[in-house]
Amino acid sequence: MQSGLTADLPRNRGFAETEIERRGMRLELGAPVTGAVMVGDAVAVGFGDGKIRFFRPGAGPVAVEAHRGVVLCMAAAGDHLVTGGDDGRFLQISLSGDVEEIHSFGTKWVDCVAASHGHRACSSGREAHVWLSGKRNSAVLEHTSTVGGLTFDAKGRRLAVACYGGATVWEHGGRRWKSSKLVWKGSHGNVSFSPDGRFLVTAMQENALHGWRLRDKGNLAMAGYPSKIRSFVWVGGTPHLATSGADEAICWPFDGKDGPMDRKPVCVAYGGDQMATCVQAVPGEEAVFVGFRDGAVLMADLDESKRAFVLRGSTDAEVTAIAVTPSRSHVLVGDATGHVLWAPLRARTGDAYARNV
Amino acid sequence: MQTAEQVPVTVLTGFLGAGKTTLLNRILTERHGRKYAVIVNEFGEEGIDNDLVVDADEEVFEMNNGCICCTVRGDLIRILGGLMKRADQLDAIIVETTGLADPAPVAQTFFVDQDVAARTKLDAIVTVADAVHLDRQLGEHHEAEEQVAFADVVLLNKTDLVEADGLERVEARIRKINPYAKIIRTAHCETPLDDVVGLNAFSLDRVLEVEPDFLESDHDHDHDDDVTSVSFTSDRPLDLNKFQTWFGILLQTRGQDILRSKGILDFAGHDDRYVFQGVHMLMDGSPMGAWPEGKPRCSRVVFIGRDLDSMGLEEGFEACKAA
Repeated sequence: MQSGLTADLPRNRGFAETEIERRGMRLELGAPVTGAVMVGDAVAVGFGDGKIRFFRPGAGPVAVEAHRGVVLCMAAAGDHLVTGGDDGRFLQISLSGDVEEIHSFGTKWVDCVAASHGHRACSSGREAHVWLSGKRNSAVLEHTSTVGGLTFDAKGRRLAVACYGGATVWEHGGRRWKSSKLVWKGSHGNVSFSPDGRFLVTAMQENALHGWRLRDKGNLAMAGYPSKIRSFVWVGGTPHLATSGADEAICWPFDGKDGPMDRKPVCVAYGGDQMATCVQAVPGEEAVFVGFRDGAVLMADLDESKRAFVLRGSTDAEVTAIAVTPSRSHVLVGDATGHVLWAPLRARTGDAYARNV
Repeated sequence: MQTAEQVPVTVLTGFLGAGKTTLLNRILTERHGRKYAVIVNEFGEEGIDNDLVVDADEEVFEMNNGCICCTVRGDLIRILGGLMKRADQLDAIIVETTGLADPAPVAQTFFVDQDVAARTKLDAIVTVADAVHLDRQLGEHHEAEEQVAFADVVLLNKTDLVEADGLERVEARIRKINPYAKIIRTAHCETPLDDVVGLNAFSLDRVLEVEPDFLESDHDHDHDDDVTSVSFTSDRPLDLNKFQTWFGILLQTRGQDILRSKGILDFAGHDDRYVFQGVHMLMDGSPMGAWPEGKPRCSRVVFIGRDLDSMGLEEGFEACKAA
């Protein structure tokens, strides 16, 4: 039974507005930000009103009317973007704003999308549909429950599909698709291969991540989080898997034979009493951006002895997306109330950042 | 834009043909100024008059919530998450379940999933029952019993097709399963909509309005599978530790058979009323302010479930009284 504490707990009053915010472009776009990915030199941002906006250094955002409802998912596909929406459409969008419908599922939502090496995939309900590079027709891969996550490996050879009860790794060998099942009780969502392709990781419905070593299907359970892990990302050369879901970024080491098994994670970017909701890698560095439920965004090296740098102050709206241009020139932060910060990173962003350069 | 308040979710249950779609369309047309999302199962009846209709698969997932394992509606978590990303603010969401669905996973989803609980709230479980067939359905399908047991409102529909004594009989049957649900007799789901939406039945405030019906506590039943209810009261304050231990073990070991529980508790040494409500082994509770002036402090607990006799509930509750 809960204790029903009603006493005033000491509250973190959050972080103040930062220099980066003042220098950046702050927009109120009227619909929740649902995701952001890097495409070419641009950052593509998805919104709850179906729009996609492309942000480029030195220019204002360009809006594209993409879906008739919510942009549920998006992925970079070379110099294009693929998106899925609650209007049942799987779209490919060029940087110049041309929208091509790859497939329509009618009243069924397109919940997940993935792309790699010219291959494009999406899921609707229990089916994953895959269009291999250059092919007009899709292969339909059936699963026992609604697909919660979809991803290609770095080489575009394998497609991993997360579901209730585990994940399935599909490989295309000649004419047929071969599947390999990875079993773990519970409902699995977001899924990702480690950059070297040795591990597969999923975020679970419970407050935990699950991983498999693909060589022998060995299980890795990463638990102990106070809330759901909505966001995770591979960071740096080790690499570390940086994760949201706690009051700081929990970063698991995936080097060596066993990855994080029996090892401690690196914990950086403590956000006071706030939960991290979104993480993003700083390209080319052993550092991570961490967004919090109160809107603050910190940047931290994967080094517990160093202090984090405040990129964006608290706004009271949950951070739902962070993206960086490949050159690290600009960062984009989006939140659940439709606010976007688009700001230059390099222009005198303070000592904390300068030391990394 | 500010972060939205919790959007109320009404769950509509009932056997096929009872009149769920009729009620649904009445809500949608009469409240046309409001923005509703309707979540239907894919095998559901056609003809729902709304812009925003979402197909659901009724995927029931087991979820490990700390030390207890319970079932949730996985598709509902996904769909509610998607709906909360919309640009336009929804006034309410209606979830229609298939006739043979157990309402527990739907209700439990709102207790267990943090994201769902943060952005939406369970408003009420409304069960549409066919006055002609309910009696038979209760005997044949345990899902029918569960739908009545979980209900905050039972809309007893098609009353125009049943004689008065038949209605009395079916209503008595409903009362035996769930004496706390509000029963509304209708012919074609015609009832003021304020009786079925915007009830806030799962808020802890509403537990305070629970008045145990003592006439019903001497339950007799035909076989052990029957869902029944019991209630107990105590004028003597309860011991917090004793109650926590007893109730915790009870829900852990017998939570499968306890469909719903509610209570207002007077703990020795505590000024506030403690209010709780539960669905199977999950519960939500909190102090709810001081006892009303001039009225006696009295603890009351209510259980709806199967095989309640075997749980030693009365003895257990008695033993929680403070020395």
